[in-house]
Amino acid sequence: MQHFILRRLFLLIPLLLGVTLVAFIISRAVPSDPVNAALGQNAVGNEALVAAFRAKWGLDKPAHIQYLTYLGRLVQGDLGQSISTHQPVVDDLGRYLPATIELATTSIILAVCIGVPFGIISAIRRNTWLDQVSRVVSLIGVSAPVFWLALLGLFVFYSRLRWLPGPGRLDIGMDAPGRVTGLFTVDALLMGDVALFFNALSHLILPSVVLASFSMGLITRITRSAMLDVVSQDYVRTARSKGLHERGITLRHIVPNALIPTVTVLGLSYGNLLTGAVLTETIFSWPGIGQYAFQASVSLDFPAIMGVTMLIALVFILVNLIVDITYIYLDPRLREG
Amino acid sequence: MKKLSHILTIVLLLAFVLTLAPVQALAQGDVVCESDAVVQAEDSLSILADKFYGNVLAFPVIAEATNAKAAEDNSYATIDNVDVIEVGWKLCIPPGEAAQAMLNESVFTQVAAEESSSTLVVALTEDTVSLDPGRAYEFHATSIHRRVYDTLTTFPAGRLDEIIPGLAESWTISDDGLVYTFTIKEGETFSTGRPVTAADVAFSLSRVKNLQGNPSFIMDNVASVEAIDERTAVITQLEPDPSLLAKLAFTSLGIIDSEEAKAHGATDAEDAAEADTAEDWLNNNSIGSGPYMLEKWEPKVETILVRNPEFAGTPAAIGRVIYRTVSDAAAQKLGLEAGDIDVALDISADQVPSLQANPAIEVYEAASNTVFFLIMNMDPDIGGPLANDLVQDAVRLAVDYDGLRLLAGGAAGTPVNIMPVQWAYALDPAQGIQRDVAAAKAKLAEAGYADGLSVELLYPEFTSGGIAIGTLAQKVQADLAEAGITVQLSPGDIGVELEKYRNAEAPFGLWLWGPDFIDPIDRLAFTPGGTVGLRVNWDDSNASPDLVEAVSAARIATEPADREAAFTGIQDIMLDESPFVFLVQSGVQVAYNASLQGFTYSDSALGRVDPYLMSK
Repeated sequence: MQHFILRRLFLLIPLLLGVTLVAFIISRAVPSDPVNAALGQNAVGNEALVAAFRAKWGLDKPAHIQYLTYLGRLVQGDLGQSISTHQPVVDDLGRYLPATIELATTSIILAVCIGVPFGIISAIRRNTWLDQVSRVVSLIGVSAPVFWLALLGLFVFYSRLRWLPGPGRLDIGMDAPGRVTGLFTVDALLMGDVALFFNALSHLILPSVVLASFSMGLITRITRSAMLDVVSQDYVRTARSKGLHERGITLRHIVPNALIPTVTVLGLSYGNLLTGAVLTETIFSWPGIGQYAFQASVSLDFPAIMGVTMLIALVFILVNLIVDITYIYLDPRLREG
Repeated sequence: MKKLSHILTIVLLLAFVLTLAPVQALAQGDVVCESDAVVQAEDSLSILADKFYGNVLAFPVIAEATNAKAAEDNSYATIDNVDVIEVGWKLCIPPGEAAQAMLNESVFTQVAAEESSSTLVVALTEDTVSLDPGRAYEFHATSIHRRVYDTLTTFPAGRLDEIIPGLAESWTISDDGLVYTFTIKEGETFSTGRPVTAADVAFSLSRVKNLQGNPSFIMDNVASVEAIDERTAVITQLEPDPSLLAKLAFTSLGIIDSEEAKAHGATDAEDAAEADTAEDWLNNNSIGSGPYMLEKWEPKVETILVRNPEFAGTPAAIGRVIYRTVSDAAAQKLGLEAGDIDVALDISADQVPSLQANPAIEVYEAASNTVFFLIMNMDPDIGGPLANDLVQDAVRLAVDYDGLRLLAGGAAGTPVNIMPVQWAYALDPAQGIQRDVAAAKAKLAEAGYADGLSVELLYPEFTSGGIAIGTLAQKVQADLAEAGITVQLSPGDIGVELEKYRNAEAPFGLWLWGPDFIDPIDRLAFTPGGTVGLRVNWDDSNASPDLVEAVSAARIATEPADREAAFTGIQDIMLDESPFVFLVQSGVQVAYNASLQGFTYSDSALGRVDPYLMSK
């Protein structure tokens, strides 16, 4: 087991190197110039300013030198400085990633806590009203556009009912908790500030439910179909013929096997939630990594693009690793290998 | 900055407490002294309050208790003035609970109430890269800097056609138009407490030039900025440029406290681009002489301004301004309706009717300074038929200007020529080109395209002020089709399209222009050899000599009458001769809480809303 994890972690190095190379080539291949994005219409016509800009950001050197310089710094943990924020990319990622992690983690917990039981009940009570309700809800979750759900949610729960606060991670003018993890709910608890904790939590509810809707629907549907698939397997019939309790069969034989595809979807969903929350982040003014990545790509902010790409690659690789480890626990056959 | 804001709070609290005087005597039986204190040299009531209660603001408790005690026991001193205590006086120090009760009841609650009623919340889409005035060039930073860093010159609230004194009380211009001598107002102080001097002016302006950043182009034509004495600064230009006065009003040329700036790594030396390290500090602190100062900037969340206690003028009515990032227009509207937001800067024209129906909300509408226009390349190898002036006329005649204005919505306008609506020297709308499809067809026939022609229109997929360029492009396509010009729409990523546009490689394009500084000279970008002129290969070699001459005259004219003649002359010629079609000036919509007083809007280059002029 340890050997397996170590081997996978070791593979990270060539994978990340490959990612940097691909990201570098693609971002340089775009027939556009970051000068256009970063400088104003008058400054861009001024050769001295353009030259100063290129020199400052190292864009005046040949591409392969730029790449090697980048790698040289990367080894020392330096991701360079963002052109569009003037800040070190490492600092930017540290600033914006926790917001997204807090949002995505809450979302995935919601999605699992609601999606898995819904899927199981739906399969066990197939074609009853429970099944119908869960199928309709999951269908809405999968198919409703996120921006529409977000605005609808804001309109109903913020504007009309006033049950939940508006956009942002905290109320207007409220100071963020001292920075430990960057997750406001956790940091507020660490500080022992209960009011701040509930404020951060109340701001988290609407965006996380909206963001969770798709994953929740997907997980419900996958769990349900996997359950139905497993129910008709030979080993379940054997278990039943041995006279085992129906509950025991469900919990010991059906659910663990049915959860394997769910775990796969879960892993991918979490990766997607972390990186694909741009719309949700925009509507809820959530200062997360999705908006940062979008801004970086629009302004051809090379250092930021590289940093975000590597971060995303790292997230997917780690999530996959965790998924694979989970498989081993769920499926005894994999333990031998 | 935290420290400064604390000091500010303390000063406000002290001011409030002093108005409570004369100190009221407590009923005698109520007074309990936990201990006595004998005044030592250097002591003050505040120092003692800090010593016993850990809070300098608790000093009135000691004064009240001592006075009350003095009435029954003359060994205690009588305090007539809380600012004066003498060595050897015996003072009564009541228990900590008494101090706490007093603080809770009086000072804090009232100040907190006052604070909340004078906080303004402005919702906007944040585009800030930097809050260092020498490096910032974005709308949001301009809004912040407008009332933090005063400039030498400025514009009257809500107007663009006159330049008035800012930090400079007056100026003189040398006969050759090269040397401008400014006299700095007396008594202006930075938030650091230091006076504003000519040396600060020289430092601030030279720094912007040498930082080689985005706003440095404004200083291109400036040879030197020198301080002659405490209050006299001299700017020498390379070429005579009358737009200098308008340029000096731009927030990036705000005057900073040079001494404080240098202490945090700023330099105005020629190598400032590499040597200046003040950006991070200036992102979190401000050192201007305006009515506000920066309390904090949390990127993509909020920027908070508070009153500058050292401001020389009347203090602002609004004590605290929170610029809150609300990236979505619909969310801004909801926040405004809920009362959480006072001003929503980015609402779209289609939201206006429902906002106007709400009695608690007011909507301000005007034409913005952003002009959308068509470009036609003057190089026949690139522009093809569009390089032909008859075809250019035909395009101008085929466009439906009224329809475009309706499409843009709100208070959109139609610029008659290079000057936008509301600008000095804008032509009379009656001179504007009216749509005439038959005349357009006739021009095409004259040019040899009686059977029509087919062209490709390049434009960026981009939305500005709620207007998607693609929507305007479709309207142009439909309009030109009626005149026999088939337009293929060719949208692209903004970065890619900008590259073609700036390299003058686009035959036919749809773009937009917002002014960099509010002076008619900014519009010379659209003349031969100007920034946009060069993007369609239009220069002195292929423009009419009359026009070239009129442009050179406009660049140096300083007297209002000469300027008017020059700019009007250019536009009269350009009505018939130009590779541009000025389509529409987008509208601007700002919604705000109806209880807000003194709302004024200035151009985005001038900070948009002005919290200093408002009250609640």
